[in-house]
Amino acid sequence: MVQPQRRARNPLSTAVAAVLLLVGVIGAFWVPIYARSAPKLGDFPFFYWFQLIWMPVVMVLCYVAYLLMRTSPAAADNANGAPATDGQGAK
Amino acid sequence: MTHINAVSFTIVIVLFAVVTLAGFAAARWRRAESILHLNEWGLGGRSFGTFVTWFLLGGDLYTAYTFIAVPALVYGTGAAGFYALSYTIMVFPIVLVFAPRLWSIARVHGYVTPADFVRGRYGSRGLALAVAGTGILATMPYIALQLVGIQAVLTVLGVGGTSGNGFIRDLPLLIAFIILAAYTFFSGLRAPALIAFVKDTLVYVMVIVAVLYIPTKLGGWGHIFGTASTHLKATNPKTHKPFGSLIVLPAGEWAYATLALGSALALFMYPHAITGVFAAKRRNVIRRNMAMLPLYSIVLGLIALLGYMALATPAVNAGVKAGGGNAQLSVPLLFEHMFPSWFAGIGYSAIVIGALVPAAIMSIAAANLFTRNIYKEFFRPEASPAEQTRVAQFVSLIVKAGALVFVLALPKTFSINLQLLGGIWILQTFPSIVAGLYTRWFHRWALVIGWAAAMVYGTIQAYRAPVAGQPNSHFGTSTAPVFGHVMYIAIAAFVLNLAIAIVGTVVFRALRLPEGADETLPHQFTADPAAAAAAPVPATAAVPGTRPGSPSAT
Repeated sequence: MVQPQRRARNPLSTAVAAVLLLVGVIGAFWVPIYARSAPKLGDFPFFYWFQLIWMPVVMVLCYVAYLLMRTSPAAADNANGAPATDGQGAK
Repeated sequence: MTHINAVSFTIVIVLFAVVTLAGFAAARWRRAESILHLNEWGLGGRSFGTFVTWFLLGGDLYTAYTFIAVPALVYGTGAAGFYALSYTIMVFPIVLVFAPRLWSIARVHGYVTPADFVRGRYGSRGLALAVAGTGILATMPYIALQLVGIQAVLTVLGVGGTSGNGFIRDLPLLIAFIILAAYTFFSGLRAPALIAFVKDTLVYVMVIVAVLYIPTKLGGWGHIFGTASTHLKATNPKTHKPFGSLIVLPAGEWAYATLALGSALALFMYPHAITGVFAAKRRNVIRRNMAMLPLYSIVLGLIALLGYMALATPAVNAGVKAGGGNAQLSVPLLFEHMFPSWFAGIGYSAIVIGALVPAAIMSIAAANLFTRNIYKEFFRPEASPAEQTRVAQFVSLIVKAGALVFVLALPKTFSINLQLLGGIWILQTFPSIVAGLYTRWFHRWALVIGWAAAMVYGTIQAYRAPVAGQPNSHFGTSTAPVFGHVMYIAIAAFVLNLAIAIVGTVVFRALRLPEGADETLPHQFTADPAAAAAAPVPATAAVPGTRPGSPSAT
């Protein structure tokens, strides 16, 4: 049986998730931030290492946003209009 | 390039044979009672968990275009080619927002294609047809692009390629595609899902080795970037301007940013990407994947850097020149000159198999669109699931044959721009699909008119864009000056599209023109049913809340 772990989505966590995702997008969209060669990391101009490092940063941002936005199976069953304790849906 | 490298060639053949077996065996993988249902053939039973979906979407989205065209663009123009990296950074945070809603509504109503959703949401066959037609149109050149990737490898392998006889030249490509078509026909989406494991493993191995090993042979990254910078600063005799730059110049920033944003918004409008989403088992599978897929983007960034490694290898530059200045040969040539034959064979295989996976998924997605939104909608409304599946199987063959004609009849050098023309088109379905996930405010006819205007505008702009250094030539680039800024045509068309849709909606609502019936309910956009809707029910007869035991909500 699925334990009802209600995680009603509150507006705050949705807002935080939205901000995190927005930061991720803007970091790549705002080209003047990284269209420069200094400072270098090793032999890599800033333009290259910034984008290569921004990628894992965005992964983390997306994952945190996922944790904030995920629906527990019970909450999802609720949303379907079924009783939250109905474990049949797990099959 | 005149002789066939036996070792490399053998490895490519062996790995190709392995994925062929896997492709046919896939029909038995997670086997359903019958494959004659689009949920099975076209969506792999809607049963893929986080792990399989990660490989499937990774194999689907990071195509041969990734391995050939992106480094080729970097090889030719430098930093501008890196927009592909910026694009794949942006795409996942954006898609994480709306893809779960699209998955949920498709799951509840048994939608197989994005156009099914549009049909159900707006009650408009015309709008659904526009979305389906755009999807098919945009997918065709994308499949063709995969063939271009295979061709580049075959050319460097010395198989066919530059041979005089047209038939002999294209024979290996033809054989590869017939085999691909055969197992896609029988196994449906399960074939590329299974092959994706092989493909992605090869790609990761190839890239990690390339990035660690090649720079040591070329005198380090400092030398690679230095040589690239010198090359890019040199004047291109055709345009009398530098070839490119190592860092995006202020004048190019707007183009870089809009290309990246436009491509990011467009990616999950492509039918093959949405097919990958719909095949997932649960809602959280989609969300988790959006956080995990950027791992492929890191690989893409490293692959883009192969373009600079190629630029720093004199033998590659000579080879590209000998190949008629075809920059798409740069990566296969780099492998040929840097790796021992056996490992070059692995690299070639990664590219060839990397083309097969997306080509299969794209042809399935296009076939689903045709079957659901054209054949069933307009010709055979009473078509049974089995009949629909049979039609889709045959359409997948036709689509591949069409792509083959596409690639053999058109010049190949600008395959990246060809794909970008598809990108211009597909982005124009964004308002109908994504806005529809949140609001029914838009009027269906306003969306149709906005779409049509943007399609025409985008195509004309792309037609008028000349090849660098050749005035009066066409389809040279996917950017054009708009209000003084050089930007991605798709974004300009998208803004036009949205503006017309908004104004049109206000007008049509004031005139009280009829809105279509909406079969969706608000809670269905966040639903997470564990079992798929039994059948792609006819859109008009769909029962809301099909989950057993749920109280009828209407």
